[in-house]
Amino acid sequence: MAHDASQFSVDERELQSRRAFFELTDDDLRRLAALRPFAERHLDDITEAFYELLLGHLETRRFFPDDATVRRVKAMQRQYFLGLFDGRCDLAYAQNRLRVGAAHERIGMAPKWYIGAYRRYLGLILDRVFEEVGDPVEARAAYQSVQKLVAFDMSLALDSYIDANLQTLGRHQAAIRELSTPVIRVHDQVLLLPLIGTIDSQRAEQVMETVLMRITEEKAEVIIIDIAGVPVVDTEVADHLLKTTAAVRLLGARTILTGITAQVARTIIQLGVDISAMPTRARLADGIELALSIVGKTIAPKAV
Amino acid sequence: MGLRVLDAVELPIRYEANIAEVRRSARALAQSRGFDSFATAALTTAASELARNVWVHGGGGSAMVEDLSDGQRSGVRMTFRDSGPGMSAADLERALAGGFSTARSLGLGLSGTRRLVDEFAVDTRPGGGTVVVITKWTRF
Amino acid sequence: MGGPIPILKVGPNLLTTIHVELTDSIAEVFQQDVLRAIERTGAGGLVIDISVLEEVDTYVARVLADTGRMAALMGTRSVLVGMRPEVAATLVRMGYGMEGVETALDVDRGIARLASLKENR
Repeated sequence: MAHDASQFSVDERELQSRRAFFELTDDDLRRLAALRPFAERHLDDITEAFYELLLGHLETRRFFPDDATVRRVKAMQRQYFLGLFDGRCDLAYAQNRLRVGAAHERIGMAPKWYIGAYRRYLGLILDRVFEEVGDPVEARAAYQSVQKLVAFDMSLALDSYIDANLQTLGRHQAAIRELSTPVIRVHDQVLLLPLIGTIDSQRAEQVMETVLMRITEEKAEVIIIDIAGVPVVDTEVADHLLKTTAAVRLLGARTILTGITAQVARTIIQLGVDISAMPTRARLADGIELALSIVGKTIAPKAV
Repeated sequence: MGLRVLDAVELPIRYEANIAEVRRSARALAQSRGFDSFATAALTTAASELARNVWVHGGGGSAMVEDLSDGQRSGVRMTFRDSGPGMSAADLERALAGGFSTARSLGLGLSGTRRLVDEFAVDTRPGGGTVVVITKWTRF
Repeated sequence: MGGPIPILKVGPNLLTTIHVELTDSIAEVFQQDVLRAIERTGAGGLVIDISVLEEVDTYVARVLADTGRMAALMGTRSVLVGMRPEVAATLVRMGYGMEGVETALDVDRGIARLASLKENR
């Protein structure tokens, strides 16, 4: 596996407290180790029956698009199954089980499917344990041990699934933030922010903060905000732009507003919004020219 | 999951120097709870405005600083109490509407502060002192 | 000159960097110190550097803006320089845009601004 999506990990203390809560004792582990020959005998039929469930439902079959995938996951499943009967439950074991949840999150398999799959596992094991272990008291104890470890595994898989999911969300939000406020340096001391899409107040705050940070970082004298890609410019959007302009002015820089369409110009005047604090231009090119003149540069035709 | 108060500190506001102490306490808690620099500045400035109100207009009082969690986000709640002259409902409304003219710094102090925080509540009556409670949360 | 904030004469201008947290009383002493320095030196311009300040509430903002207006009455133009992004965002959110106060990104540009203001007078 190339990378682990989940940062979630378990330390010795967490391992011990979780084992205590699942009442997973050393006796249980010994009992599981004693079932190892049983597990090896039933490795194939349990694995096959397990995949009957997963391949028998449309919702889960789509995770196994071809025979090669099915062969690969069956091999992994055999490892997983035998792991239950190794008779150990240490940090390495927990780390291995954590990967299950993260891997499922990565492929987009929701917890309900693998909780259901675990259920079938337990059912398959239950039948066979009671068939083969003669003494019902012993069989019950053996099955209880299996159940404890499977529940323990499930708890780890869920935790790592949730954690990986939160990180995916965080990454998406950061990406959206980055995409929604792409401040570009067009020239020494001149920045450009092309705004695209709807501006609500949360986004407006982000825009203001990003603009202010970038001006300070770049020591920019001018920021051009191009609103050609903003579908609706109402009083609220105008108000946000004016606030950003006021804050930019406090830093000692200036804002130029470009991309004012005929429709936007009409709206602004009809709404009675005073945006005289910002120089405005219809076209971005004119805004860039104005910005350059502010920083003491001009665009001149190349001498021939 | 419900709201939990993890820790609380009460600071007196009796001298001018206490305003800076309240401000520093708000800043330290916000930073340790992962507030970004903009949220930290907003909370700290709100604390400064309200602590000054307590000192100047309320004749002194206290600020309680609480460390909150709602299971998802961290928050800082601050409660400013004074036993000063308080305000009538009309005065309060005017103060919250902003504008300098009413009670000089009190006007912009309250209306401006409200825009810096996520939750804002005032309890006041003439002769009964003023309590202002503000809360700010981490963004997620 | 009683306050903790030094005010330096640099060329034709006064330059002061506020390097301590501004309490109300320090802010007031600072204002008096600046005005006395103008009186004493007859400086043409004043640069107030606030790049160290992590927060500026409306009281301090008003003292700073008033100081500039008072200096203007004495014939001295002033520029506020180096305001941090967080401070600017907070003041604007509170509805305090410090209109009429000249600003610049840093001390050098503040001095340049003073020179251009003088030309355009």
